[in-house]
Amino acid sequence: MYDPLVVDRPLDEAELVERARRGDLEAWETLVRTYQGIAFRTAYLLAGNAADAEEAAQDGFVKAHRALGRFRRGAELRPWLLRIVANEARNRRRSAGRRERLALRAFEENRPGDAVPSPEAALLAREGQQRLLEALEGLPDDHRDAIACRYLLELSEEETAAALGIRRGTVKSRLARALARLRESLEAEA
Amino acid sequence: MSTLEQRLEALGRELAFPATPDLSGRARSTGRPFPWRQVAFALAILAVAIAAAFAVPQARTAILRWFHLNGVTVERVDTLPEAQERAKAGGLGRRLTLDQAQRQLGFHLRLPPLDGAPTTYVLDGALGTVILRVGDRPVLLSEYLARGYTLLKKSVSQKSVVEPVTVNGERGLWLEGPPHTLTYFNTNGEFQERTVKVTGNVLLWTHGPVTLRLEGRISRAEALRIARRIG
Repeated sequence: MYDPLVVDRPLDEAELVERARRGDLEAWETLVRTYQGIAFRTAYLLAGNAADAEEAAQDGFVKAHRALGRFRRGAELRPWLLRIVANEARNRRRSAGRRERLALRAFEENRPGDAVPSPEAALLAREGQQRLLEALEGLPDDHRDAIACRYLLELSEEETAAALGIRRGTVKSRLARALARLRESLEAEA
Repeated sequence: MSTLEQRLEALGRELAFPATPDLSGRARSTGRPFPWRQVAFALAILAVAIAAAFAVPQARTAILRWFHLNGVTVERVDTLPEAQERAKAGGLGRRLTLDQAQRQLGFHLRLPPLDGAPTTYVLDGALGTVILRVGDRPVLLSEYLARGYTLLKKSVSQKSVVEPVTVNGERGLWLEGPPHTLTYFNTNGEFQERTVKVTGNVLLWTHGPVTLRLEGRISRAEALRIARRIG
């Protein structure tokens, strides 16, 4: 448990992992809160629906907690967690065999600080994004997954490799082929 | 970074992701992280004990044959170990809703089509059991996630039938005959044993990483029919 008299600064990740290893549930929950957003979004893109993504993320964190004793000290926690959660998500997609189509956020939903474009420019940009999304959905699963992890989620190459259970070199070659197919698809449509 | 790559990153920021659920309160295993080192140590001790047992001539005749199936060991023995008769739902663990049980177990229970929510029990956060009905007879369906070590050990006498079967393309074993014993090793690293006497027939099989066990007064054909309906 945290002792505010002793700990007066945010604990860094290594300290939290160490505490969680020793059975400190509060430390583990802090780590879960830190990574649940990216873990859930990764699971959503790989599993293809929110219900399976939630289960995959939850089961992944449970398994990670159980396996904390095997986590290599000094390693980065995020790729390790993403690998476990993504594996759960891929298993669920394989067994469920269904995927919801991705959608753009509501048109009027501008985030604070967004520059507001003219209605015409916004509409054109929106149509371009919709075409890109449709072209992406038309790719084979392995290409789509690579692009989803690397660009849509902005994971690093190492994290993409961990999430997809492949080597970094394979990530590079798969992304190159996926981007080439995406370009062809967009050009054929234009 | 190419324009296409930039467009993809921008697309990711415009996607309508579902709201992230708060997992912090439920994304943990029960108790402390699994004590891999203690388990490895316990397994090493177990291996030495088994080796020692086989080294003694009298003991060598005690275990006549082993069958392994994803964390279950079935051994044919001269004399069954001492065991208590299990009460109907005794020794099955805590009674929970199906949803609660699945969260605690960390995997989805594989079930046949059911009319309503089944009665579900969880033992030590690892072994889930639901009670099914075949006609007016209760049949126990127990499931657990294989983790590379023996969780269940069955001892059967020489009169029992142990036959390999195939369920939905996966390996299985059919156990039929006189009462046998079931020893359950809990997963807290201490390898405490509970041994109960089982009077029904048993079908054991795997479904991916999950090992399933159907127990009750059922025939082989009935058991296989139920198992094949489990998706």
